[in-house]
Amino acid sequence: MAQTTLDGKTATATRESAGAPTARGRGADLAFLALVIAAALSVVATLHVVAYRVPVESTMGVVQKIFYFHVPAAYAMYLGAVVCFFGSAGFLLRGTAPWDAAAKGGAEVAVACGAMVLTSGPLWAAKAWGVYWTWDPRLTTSMLTVLIYVAYVVLRTFAGNGEAERKFAAALGILGAAMLPIIHYSVRKWGGTHPQVISGKGGGLQHPDMKLALTLGFVSFTLLGIALVVSRARLALAAARVEEVEQEAIDQGLIDD
Amino acid sequence: MQNDAKPAATSDAASTGGAPVGTGATDFKPVTAGAPELQSGEKLLVEAYAVIWVIAFVFLLMTWRRQRALDRRVQELEAVLARAAAGAPAGKAGR
Repeated sequence: MAQTTLDGKTATATRESAGAPTARGRGADLAFLALVIAAALSVVATLHVVAYRVPVESTMGVVQKIFYFHVPAAYAMYLGAVVCFFGSAGFLLRGTAPWDAAAKGGAEVAVACGAMVLTSGPLWAAKAWGVYWTWDPRLTTSMLTVLIYVAYVVLRTFAGNGEAERKFAAALGILGAAMLPIIHYSVRKWGGTHPQVISGKGGGLQHPDMKLALTLGFVSFTLLGIALVVSRARLALAAARVEEVEQEAIDQGLIDD
Repeated sequence: MQNDAKPAATSDAASTGGAPVGTGATDFKPVTAGAPELQSGEKLLVEAYAVIWVIAFVFLLMTWRRQRALDRRVQELEAVLARAAAGAPAGKAGR
C-alpha cells in the first residue's frame, strides 16, 4: 500500500513538474506561453518607441530615456513585493505549498527588478545630479526594501525548507511590503531630490510620445513581472513536490539520503 | 633667452585649454562657460539598458538551470520507481 501511495504521489509530482500533457496542465502551459509572447512583444514595442519616437528631453538630454524603463522596473518590484506579501500572509494562515511558492516567486522578482532600479537610477543620477548616489529618502528606503527581499531570498536559498525557516521568511515578506508605502510617501514627507514627475504637481510628461513610452513601459513590465513571478512560483512548487516525494522514497528505502 | 621661452609656454597653454605644460600648477580653476560633458548621456543610457537586460537574462538563465536540475531529478526518481514497480530490487539513487 505504501508503494502505491508513493507511486501515485510521484506520478503527480513528475507530471506537474515536467509539464506532462494533462488537460489542465496544457491549458496552463498555453496561457503561460501567451503571456511570455505578449511580454516579449510589448518589450520590443517599448524599445522601439523609446529609441525612435520619444523626443530627447530639453535639459537632461538623451539620458532621460532611462526613465521609461527605470520607473516601470520599480513598479514591477512593487508587483513582486505585493505577490510576496499575499503569498506570505496566505502561507502563515493556511500553511500550504502554493502560497509559499507564490511568496518565494514574488520575492525573487522583487530582488531582480530592485536590482534594475538600483543600477539604472544611479546611472541617470550621474548625469542629472553629478553623483551616482545620494542618501535621498526615496533612494534610501528603496535600497532598504530591496535588502529585505535579498534577505528573504538568501534565507530561502541557504537555510533549508523547514517549517520554521519558511515562517520566518514569510514574516520578512510581510515586513518588506510594509516598506512600500514608506518608499512612496518618503518624498512627500521628507523631501529630497528624487523627481516626482508622475505623482508630483508639476507639468509631468510634456509630449504625447513620452506618455506613450511610459505607458508601454508599464504594460511590458507588468506582463514581464507576472511571467517571471509565475515561472518562479511554478518552479518552487515543483521543487517542493519533488522534495516531498524524495523524502517519502528515502523513508521507504528506495533511495539513499 | 627668456623671451624665447615665453611664447612656447603660451602655445602649450593654448593647446591644452589654458593649463601651462611643464610647470608646477599653483591653482585649479573650474570650467564655467562652454564646459564639456563630464558624463556622456549616451554612454550612461546604453549602460543602464544593458544592465536591465543583463539582469533579466541572468534571471531567466537561473530559472532555466533550476528547471533542468529538477527535470534530471524527476527522471532519476521515475527510473527508481519503475524498477521498484517491476519487482526488481530498487537501485538506490543518491540525492
